[in-house]
Amino acid sequence: MREVYVAGIGITSFTRLEYPLVEIAAYPGLMALRDSGLKKIDQLYVANMGSGRVNAQTGLASAVVDHLSLTPAGAVTIENGPASGASAIKEGFMAIASGMHDVVMVIGAERMREVNQLEATDFVATLTHPLAEYIYGVTLPSLAGMFARLYMEKYGVTSRHLAMVAVKNHHNAMDNFYAHLHEEITLEGILDSPEASTNNPYVADPLRFYDMCPVSDGGACLILTTAEVMKKINKPMIRIAGIGQATDTHAVHERKDPTDLLAVREAARQSFEMAKVKPQDVDVAELHDAFTILEIAESEEVGFFKKGEGHIALEKGETKIGGKIPINPSGGLKAKGHPVGATGVGQAHEIVLQLRGEAKKRQMQNAKIGFTCNFGGFGNNVVCLTFIKEK
Amino acid sequence: MELNIYAYKCKRCGEIHYPYKTICKKCGENDHNEFEIVPLPKKGKLLTFTILHNPPSDYEVPTISLGIVELEGGQRITGQLNIKNPKIGMNVEGKIEVVRKEAYNKHLGMVFYQA
Ligand SMILES: [Zn+2]
Repeated sequence: MREVYVAGIGITSFTRLEYPLVEIAAYPGLMALRDSGLKKIDQLYVANMGSGRVNAQTGLASAVVDHLSLTPAGAVTIENGPASGASAIKEGFMAIASGMHDVVMVIGAERMREVNQLEATDFVATLTHPLAEYIYGVTLPSLAGMFARLYMEKYGVTSRHLAMVAVKNHHNAMDNFYAHLHEEITLEGILDSPEASTNNPYVADPLRFYDMCPVSDGGACLILTTAEVMKKINKPMIRIAGIGQATDTHAVHERKDPTDLLAVREAARQSFEMAKVKPQDVDVAELHDAFTILEIAESEEVGFFKKGEGHIALEKGETKIGGKIPINPSGGLKAKGHPVGATGVGQAHEIVLQLRGEAKKRQMQNAKIGFTCNFGGFGNNVVCLTFIKEK
Repeated sequence: MELNIYAYKCKRCGEIHYPYKTICKKCGENDHNEFEIVPLPKKGKLLTFTILHNPPSDYEVPTISLGIVELEGGQRITGQLNIKNPKIGMNVEGKIEVVRKEAYNKHLGMVFYQA
């Protein structure tokens, strides 16, 4: 296998965007071309979950490759739920590692705000099992609510811990220009004060409004290439060193222990093994905190902390910027935003910034190893990436 | 006739699947005709639950309650709850009722009550 490097990156704000999906996809592509200095690509992958349903547009990659005037390069759209982004990076990696292509552009893009919040939630709910979950009114927040209740009961995680994840990630997003929410929040405001029940109502009890990520539009891009091409463009040598992907049962109730995230555990294990590093070697990570409880649970399943101890590390400040293992310095899905198909590419974008030393105020000093966990469905399709900065 | 939710029992190894799968998860049997249809029990224990305050827009109610129940015999099912103060571990009993209405279609499913 050939080694695969990140030559260029680009991103839009994750927010409500008032321009067409194809442009949400194309702008980060343009930025990444400029960043890398490259003009041509062999292949484009566009990760997107909902264009057919939400935006009434299919064949997105074909539209984007033309919009960027990169024809006749190959182009493929990848739909893999909320894990579409990292799944597309995996495809791009394989295309280069195999020797098939030398320069691959991977874009993630989503425009969910074209419909209202309930329609957006219902669109995402089509991920659930059609007969065993969806017909009951099950949505992603409801699966997260059921997961959280059992997790809290089992491991002593409290609403305060969940709120601490939100406070941390909102704080991190304050320094991220591209984040959806620039809103500093406090435990007082969302938990302790008499106004908290109005500020922070229950959505999927025990999860409240500030335990949920916003519905965002947005796009992000990575250009991947070979060591040979990297020699010509003078960019930092950020290598994709490990990729893991694993799946779990479609219906959540079929899992032996409904608080286990087996696919996260397995995808992370594969990714670290391939990169020849240990979870403890990671300097900075972006985890898929679509719901606050998931940041805590994933921080354990990927191996940063023992099972049941993620909330204790959070309490100690170990997951803050400057802590032992900063988690979601970008603000995470919670505050940076969650344009579903774009999220995995957005996570990788943040890690590349961190490893390049370009993350400004939210920079983790001397970060050399970065990690992302992109979580699809309710944990039934997970992709984990490990990035290493070479000298 | 009593209404039931049906599960799929592998004729080779006896493993019960709910929902349906093409291949048995235990023995790898891959002929779907080798599954026997068996009704799921209706009594069980509530494993976890949530009260959803923003149900999908086709539900014209402010909240719906959802839970995962471990049924007698060990199979699990996701269902709706019609219980005032649900608690983890409580005994529940299911009835087959309409759980979702679409314009031209009604879906039947398991709704759990306190046993
Ligand atoms: Zn069998």
